[in-house]
Amino acid sequence: MGNKQTIFTSQQLDAYQDCTYFTRKEILRLFHRYRDLAPQLVPLDYKNQPEVRLPYELIGSMPELKDNPFRQRIAEVFSEDGEGNMTLDDFLDMFSVLSEMAPRDLKAYYAFKIYDFNNDDFICKSDLEKTLNKLTRNELTEDEVRMVCEKVIDEADLDNDGRLSLEDFQHMIMRAPDFLSTFHIRI
Amino acid sequence: MEEQKYQQIIVPPAWYWLVKPVTRTTGHKDKRRYSPLVPCILQLYHNFLVPPVRQIYDQNSRMRRMSVFPQHGTALGNLGRTANEIRQEAEHSKSELVSDLVNLSAGARFQAIRSLPMSFNERKTVRNRVNSVKLSKTVLAADCRQQVSRSFRRFRASLASARQHLIIWQDTLKEIGGRFGTSVLSYFLFLKWLLQFNLFSFIINFCFITIPQIVHAPNISSTTGFRGLELLTGVGYFNQTVLFYGGYNGEEIVSKPVYNMQLAYFFTIAAYLVLCWVSLIYSMSRSFQKNFVLETGPVSGGAWRLLCSWDFSVVNEKAIQYNKNNLAIQLKESLSERLQEKNKMSLSDRIKHLSLHLLAWLLSLGLAIGSGAGIYFLGTDPELAFSFSHNPNNLRAEASTLLLPVVVSLINLIVPLLYSLISKIESYSNPRAKIYISIIRNVILKMSILGILCFYWLNFVPNSISCWESFVGQSVYRLLIIDFIFCLLGIFFGEFLRNVIGTMCIQSLGVPEFDIARNVLDLIYAQTLAWIGIYFSPLLPVMQVLKLFILFYLKKISLSLNCQPPKHTGRAAQIQTVFIALLFFPSFVGVLSMVAFTVWSLEPSNQCGPFQGLKTPFHTIFNWTASIQNFPESNWVWWIFENILRSELFYYLISLIVLVITYFLWQITQGRKQLIKTLREQIVNEGKDKAFLLNKLQNLQKERREMASYRPQDFDQTPHFNPNWMNTLPLDM
Repeated sequence: MGNKQTIFTSQQLDAYQDCTYFTRKEILRLFHRYRDLAPQLVPLDYKNQPEVRLPYELIGSMPELKDNPFRQRIAEVFSEDGEGNMTLDDFLDMFSVLSEMAPRDLKAYYAFKIYDFNNDDFICKSDLEKTLNKLTRNELTEDEVRMVCEKVIDEADLDNDGRLSLEDFQHMIMRAPDFLSTFHIRI
Repeated sequence: MEEQKYQQIIVPPAWYWLVKPVTRTTGHKDKRRYSPLVPCILQLYHNFLVPPVRQIYDQNSRMRRMSVFPQHGTALGNLGRTANEIRQEAEHSKSELVSDLVNLSAGARFQAIRSLPMSFNERKTVRNRVNSVKLSKTVLAADCRQQVSRSFRRFRASLASARQHLIIWQDTLKEIGGRFGTSVLSYFLFLKWLLQFNLFSFIINFCFITIPQIVHAPNISSTTGFRGLELLTGVGYFNQTVLFYGGYNGEEIVSKPVYNMQLAYFFTIAAYLVLCWVSLIYSMSRSFQKNFVLETGPVSGGAWRLLCSWDFSVVNEKAIQYNKNNLAIQLKESLSERLQEKNKMSLSDRIKHLSLHLLAWLLSLGLAIGSGAGIYFLGTDPELAFSFSHNPNNLRAEASTLLLPVVVSLINLIVPLLYSLISKIESYSNPRAKIYISIIRNVILKMSILGILCFYWLNFVPNSISCWESFVGQSVYRLLIIDFIFCLLGIFFGEFLRNVIGTMCIQSLGVPEFDIARNVLDLIYAQTLAWIGIYFSPLLPVMQVLKLFILFYLKKISLSLNCQPPKHTGRAAQIQTVFIALLFFPSFVGVLSMVAFTVWSLEPSNQCGPFQGLKTPFHTIFNWTASIQNFPESNWVWWIFENILRSELFYYLISLIVLVITYFLWQITQGRKQLIKTLREQIVNEGKDKAFLLNKLQNLQKERREMASYRPQDFDQTPHFNPNWMNTLPLDM
């Protein structure tokens, strides 16, 4: 509120505040969380916008993400290079979308991208199988996996093209109001 | 032989189907078209539906535009376009986006920028462009307006971050959510929300009523020494203190502006109740809007469970493993349901089920009525009830006042267990129906107990005891304290011992689950008591605040040591809405009607309290308006009070207007449901169109390839997008 901080210029902080759902205090706190992952790589002075990119292994070792079955996909979706190596901007963006203030449509969009393993803008059967394997791992047989995926496509595919588009997914989310509170990572 | 320039027929890219306007004229004479009713309905409800639907539609089209272009473009989408054209298209849509955003108001603009689904850098560029456009548009003289709006925004942001300092328990809640998931967390959030109500009540009561009273202390008639039992019973030493109604005096405190204690007491409590009302309605409507969907369709098993129900906020490894197991079990169950034939129940089976249901309901209602009657007879037993007021120094009589609260708490503890036993004999097709029915039964029990108590307090007590409001306040105090003690006992026996039994002695029982519904209903019951007691004992919220504080930590410890997360976590959001609705009706509405009855019709006691000597407490207002009638500048207040608030016609008119508006809004809802249905049919039709046209495209390309191999020199090699593509399709499709 009147803190003199030397990490960002005030224009940078304004830009962060305008483009994410965080307040100044939270942005600084998140910066320190980011820095704690690799203090030797992340400088304390971001005024000249250094190009610092933390590798996926460090991001995936955060306590909020380390046991999440989708941590790799989350990091890939939010990182600029698509491989999971995140800059500070990507990091803030990720937690902003996953915070409780993000609206449902934005969360649905990113959830769709996370479940779309082959990045073709559709959730096809193989994507569903991969999702199911990440969520249950060895408890379902091959047959059951196949039947569950077929059932999902039957129920959710509205335009009958055999795969889920973003609109099908959003339509399903509209009817599942818990989604807003479950697609949420606290930091 | 004329060389025909073979015009390539290009199917429009995938996004076209979704961005084009909803009503389009079509040349198709295909039978699988929508009914002619659609344009009528769309026209009829266009005026009402455009604002919200358009917002969603615009945002979706914006998102679709931004996401499909250019790096994620599908092969079909970029078919037949050069790299230049793709870049131009992207640039064009981006500038459209910027101009859209510039036209919004400041608040909406920032919300829209934040919710753009693009990477952070792109969002920042859009924001910078929007800002530069806005800057270039404003004249130099309006620069100070820019400054003002910017500093206003900074102030709001700093206010938001200052508010964060006040948020308590953030780490604890994060830990609970991380281990047990969001449905258990909702109980703790509900507790925190109730704490805010009580804290606010305590602050305003203390500032406006208690402090003036303490500063000008009334004569305290007789004080007995402080004995330990007062903490439980609230009588004796506490009797004439500011804890209860009797400790307040209705005189006017002579100070610079004359402070009328009667008005202060009345208005403080009225203002608090009105604020509670507004806050509850606001929370209820927001929760309803978020959590109840308009269209009724089965949101069943597989799709929702797989894609929407995974709880990302759980971070504990064991809890995640537990959730994975649960998900696998639920998926297997839903698969086996699908495979089995739904066996039709024979008539005799159905009659048996119905009669079991009827029996269970009769038993539950009988138990509720029986407990109500028992409490009534216990309460009106003249020996028991008034023995203390007749012998104020008798310790035994004082202890006997605790009998009623103990019986009430025992009933609250035992009868819900009986209810859960009764529900075991019934069989439900739907597990959610089971939860809702058990909630309804428990609510009926608790509200009937409270109803009987209120009836007793308002009908019999005023005629038998001198300072009856203090007596009621003390009864509420006792009920709250004993309820708290029983809560602690419940934690010990219900969770700790049950865990020990479940893990060591009878292995089959297992670790107990955290029963969210029962705990939330207990919270609602305690809060209703606290609200009832505010009029009779202004400092009662202190006790409730302390109690909720301690309960939070105890429940958290018990949760981590003894319980496991619930297995069926579905539909937690809808149950949350039901709880908030229960807090409003019957809980708050009941309290409001009771306090209104007390203030409006009951005669206040003559010897104590701020309203002594008046016919009813509401006469304060009559006296006050009569006194300000003499001042010409405040005549309008008197006029409003006399002619509007006291006339019945005003209330009839208001009710009529509200009913008309409700009917109107209901009709709009029906119209929207119809629109959703027709739009859904349209999506299905679009899908069929898409498949058909793809097929046609493949055939044409095959033909073209064959012809190209025959006469290669006739073909135009650079593909281009023909904007009149629709005209090139043959009409006889």
